[in-house]
Amino acid sequence: MSLHPMYARPRDLEQASELLASLSSGAVIIAGGQEIMPYINYGVMMPDVYVDIGGIDALRGVSAEADEVSIGPLTVHRDIQNIDEIVQQLPLLAYAAKQIGGGMQVHNRGTIGGNIVAMHPLYDVAPALLALEAEVELLSENGSQRMSLSELQELSNHGLGTSSILTKILVKPMSPTTLWGYYKLKNSAGAYGSANAAVVLQLDGENIKSIRVAIGAATEKVVVVSGNLDSYLGGPYSSEVGLAIQKTCSDAIDEPLSDQQGDGVWRKAMAGVAARRATEMALGKLNNSSSKG
Amino acid sequence: MVKGKQLSESYVGQPVRAKELRAPLVGKAKYTNDYSFEGQLYAYILRSPHAAAKINSVDLSGAKKISGVHLALCGRDVFEHTNGITDHLNPAIFGGKSTRLPIMAVDEAWCYGQPVAIVIAEDERTARYAASRIQVDYTPKEPVVDAEKAIAKGARSVVPEWDDNVLIYVPFMNGDTQAAFDQADKIVTTDVKIHRFSSQPMETRCYNAVWEHDTESITLYGTCQNPHPLRLVLAETLRMNENKIRIIASTIGGAFGLKMHGHPEEPLICLMTKLIRRPVKWVENREECLLIGAREQQHKVEMAFDSDGNMTGLRDHFLANIGAPSACPGWGMAFLTGLTMPGPYKVENIDVHMNAVTTNKPSWNAARGYGKESTAIALELAMDNAARQFGISPIDLRLKNFITKEQFPYPSPTGLVYDSGDYGGVLLKALETIGYEDWKGKQKTALAEGRHIGIGMAFELTPEGGTIPGTMVAGYDSSSVRVGPDGTVRVLTGITSPGTHNGTAIAQIVADELGIDMDRIEVLQGDTNSSPYGFGNYSGRSTIVGGGSAALAAKDVRDKINAVAAALLEVEIDTLSLSEGIFSSSDNGDATLTFAEVCYASYTRAYDVAMCIDPPLEATRTFKPPGISHLPDENGRINPYPSYSNAVYVVVCEVDKETGKIDLLSLAAAHDCGKVINPILVEGQVCGAFAMGLGGALTEDVQYDANGVQLTKSFKDYVMLRMADMPLVGMAHHDSPNPDNYLGLKGAGEAGVGGSAAALVNAVNNALEPLEVVIHEMPLTPSRVWSAIQNANNSEGVK
Amino acid sequence: MEDLLDISALIQLRVDGQFHELDVLPSRTLLDVLRDDLGKKGTHLGCKTGHCGACTVMIDGKVAKSCITMAATLSRAEITTIEGLADDDGSMHPIQQAFWDEAGLQCGYCAPGIVLSALELIEDNHNPSTKDMEVALAGNLCRCTGYQSIKRSVTEACVRMYPEQK
Repeated sequence: MSLHPMYARPRDLEQASELLASLSSGAVIIAGGQEIMPYINYGVMMPDVYVDIGGIDALRGVSAEADEVSIGPLTVHRDIQNIDEIVQQLPLLAYAAKQIGGGMQVHNRGTIGGNIVAMHPLYDVAPALLALEAEVELLSENGSQRMSLSELQELSNHGLGTSSILTKILVKPMSPTTLWGYYKLKNSAGAYGSANAAVVLQLDGENIKSIRVAIGAATEKVVVVSGNLDSYLGGPYSSEVGLAIQKTCSDAIDEPLSDQQGDGVWRKAMAGVAARRATEMALGKLNNSSSKG
Repeated sequence: MVKGKQLSESYVGQPVRAKELRAPLVGKAKYTNDYSFEGQLYAYILRSPHAAAKINSVDLSGAKKISGVHLALCGRDVFEHTNGITDHLNPAIFGGKSTRLPIMAVDEAWCYGQPVAIVIAEDERTARYAASRIQVDYTPKEPVVDAEKAIAKGARSVVPEWDDNVLIYVPFMNGDTQAAFDQADKIVTTDVKIHRFSSQPMETRCYNAVWEHDTESITLYGTCQNPHPLRLVLAETLRMNENKIRIIASTIGGAFGLKMHGHPEEPLICLMTKLIRRPVKWVENREECLLIGAREQQHKVEMAFDSDGNMTGLRDHFLANIGAPSACPGWGMAFLTGLTMPGPYKVENIDVHMNAVTTNKPSWNAARGYGKESTAIALELAMDNAARQFGISPIDLRLKNFITKEQFPYPSPTGLVYDSGDYGGVLLKALETIGYEDWKGKQKTALAEGRHIGIGMAFELTPEGGTIPGTMVAGYDSSSVRVGPDGTVRVLTGITSPGTHNGTAIAQIVADELGIDMDRIEVLQGDTNSSPYGFGNYSGRSTIVGGGSAALAAKDVRDKINAVAAALLEVEIDTLSLSEGIFSSSDNGDATLTFAEVCYASYTRAYDVAMCIDPPLEATRTFKPPGISHLPDENGRINPYPSYSNAVYVVVCEVDKETGKIDLLSLAAAHDCGKVINPILVEGQVCGAFAMGLGGALTEDVQYDANGVQLTKSFKDYVMLRMADMPLVGMAHHDSPNPDNYLGLKGAGEAGVGGSAAALVNAVNNALEPLEVVIHEMPLTPSRVWSAIQNANNSEGVK
Repeated sequence: MEDLLDISALIQLRVDGQFHELDVLPSRTLLDVLRDDLGKKGTHLGCKTGHCGACTVMIDGKVAKSCITMAATLSRAEITTIEGLADDDGSMHPIQQAFWDEAGLQCGYCAPGIVLSALELIEDNHNPSTKDMEVALAGNLCRCTGYQSIKRSVTEACVRMYPEQK
């Protein structure tokens, strides 16, 4: 806790990594700052050292290979929404990024890396990435590690934000036949999400071949529902199937969040409604009908 | 839209462009926080984390050690040097209780957030850091948070020397209500729960107190709605002469009552500069601003009706949870809620009881509507409830029970005298504006598809320009009009502007009275050294009394100018005319003089041709609206309001029954604010108030845990409406001017919050009627609406 | 590693056309630097959490909330504040003029956010729909107007800036 913090702007990953290793504690990594600045402004966070990774080129850029889209964590939300590689290969992610709150200002400065590292239950990017089974790379004093985003969510000692750096976000490109949907339930335009559901769906003719749902904002951690939806595979979608998906997703919510926006009982139910609506949106695409934007 | 005026048109009534708006648009307006002075120091206030606690000790040593800290003080340090803070509105005048109001807590903290200590340092971060080093030893007490519990037998008194927690109880009784209820054919009971919400202007409060070494006085740059009255409060609290204090309220970024005086920080920051002899600035952060709230009231509205739906009696015993004692005029809102009953309805038998209950929640301050919005919420939800129970339309039930046009001036059962109005006409105008029949059709179609559209309406009566005898809430105000030798004009006025551009409205009035171009007029407000004594802005008074007094002063000055012009032209005054800055006379053919020439002569020819007047070309006049009467009638009641604006708000919404989410589809308001000086300004007020009321009804809420600790700390939790939430508002006027006021003005600033909130609730209940869901509490978050729907589904018709 | 750590950061900003080299302490926001170091008071403090938008400026041509931007991280940046829109001779930018003529705002405190966000929108989309405006202004709060006069002003600004659009 320091009134006179130090500042460093390492020029590359190696320098950043060495620096973080040399600082035992009290360091905070900053990129766009959209997440941590409110805490700093109110004196809730008073780091001893700020490590500004904004100058590290290796953390920028998006490249799409045949089997992997590699996203630099410093990519701002506005670019995630608009860059060809993301729009073409990961349309669910581009769309989810459009739902981020805070306005164009936050879209211009906020980074996808910062959003992920925040691990804020109410945010939009994680549900989309978890639905897409994204992976991440971390750099710490133990070297570079690659893991799924789900695994990262379960770790408590990842050190992101203070001692390790998120260096890459890796996602398999969505196939052109993949259907996707994202439904964000907010109380009003300026509210945070109360239930954010991302759905990825594959059809085989009329029948559901696979379905994967990730629901954010309902619980502390994003909940991924896939295995328990197996009973709906092999058959067509119908409103009964939709309601069943809704119930399964709602049942998957233990310990729903309760805050000023809504209580836990409601949230648990809304997780299911959001999942069903996101599914309907995904299927709406198949029929070329308009869906809620 | 905004044009220059035509030659023969007057400015009054035109949508003239507001001069005041230019500066903020180019980033050059001076808001209070924009001022900084040589040697500027900064304050940070340490606040109680407990709702109720004994303060055993305050150890400031940790703070004092920090480099850059100039001063650290606690409540005990300042106690001996100051008096209690003078009330804005003293409850004792009305038979209520009072207590010494400390600048900072001394032996005990009585609400979360109460100031306990202060640090003055070279910059704010240092001050805040040092404050975190202060050690306060508290012994928390069981807090009294809930109003019903606070008023129950055996409840601990928030103020130790009081017997109970009732700050003030006021009955509003008329006729024989018991008989009305005994004989009623139908009684409708509606429990209306109004929650605590807050004005939250975009600019928080800021006080920069400057010690003036040359005159040994204080200049306070502050976000103050009422500079002159505040000056007296500071003088009394700080034991100084009032003439040693100057207040400069520069451009204010919204107020809505939140910046009315009574806050402990006002004298606190002034005391700091007095002690340290350097300028001290305090900038309220948003978390602190959210401590200020209002409106938390529980109403049990009972209406007695005959079989035709005529209301024969009204009962409402309500509790207001006003939080900890304060010098701010928040408690008065509850009083006004009662005084404004029964609103627009002609029922004469009323039995209304108001209990303003002290608790360990942070104190109220005034909030837009000042209690009248809550009257609207309570009555309008109850009227719709009654309409549903009667099975008649909410329109018909209202039309049946409204005071009729012919009954004005109308003496209300609480002693008010409503000046003028056409309530039925306003309702019909509002319904026409929204396209009521059209929406009814759409509603039917939607229901067939399983969708729930609702249409809701609500009436809001807004007495404006209020005044309370024996207090600085005064019904009059003054302006000075000064015309210089070059013919340009300064108007100095005792009213202030929270951002509503009333300066432009005043300039319109003065321009018309003087017969000159508005460009030649500057209006100055907010500096107690130069403005005539005034009471600032609140209660929609600014154009009534500010405009009224400016008109009188301008007339006086114009008379002088006319006299000089006539003397110069050697004609009779009544043959003069002034057009486009030129005086001419029907008696003197081609002879003309410019306005400026006449003004110059007024100053320079005092001993010859201009000797008919006393120079300079200045006048200061006061407007006392005649409709106010402070002499009690035979029942001891007074009429403290000169005029009664009113309006009807209509909301169309759709409720998503699966989620409880409410989408606004269409909005309309029909407004009677008497004469309209500038229609654009009025429309802006109506629309802004609509958004504020809808925000309160849908999303805004200040919440506490069971220990009275505030949970709502930022705009993440306190969510206000954004552009995407608001559809267009259709607006119409339906004016019946006040016969007594200058130009028939009634005031326009305050109305809207209650009517729009009530209309929203009524719309939602209308939408959910097929599901037999009725909700009478707010905010109508999706969670609340959804739960109500689930409960209705699970039981037999919940009401 | 010691040479990497510093008590402050040297940044280069061009603010409303004027170049500044500043040595800033790391905890300071861009808003602090603009208001306190450069005397640019036109940009306002509303919440310090990035919700209200009264602190909006443009950084390298794109709107950003200066209260949640750490100044030290802007090693080189072009900043436009609300004060930078008018010409040197004081004549208002058409968008400012449109807001003035249409009574777009009341107290004016939200002006930096509303005007700059609207400007970014209009420069990109010369004929925005109401929906487009809602998205562009999602990061901005106004407590006085209910947003209606703002919509009207943005439409008028388009007409003036891009008269060839119908």
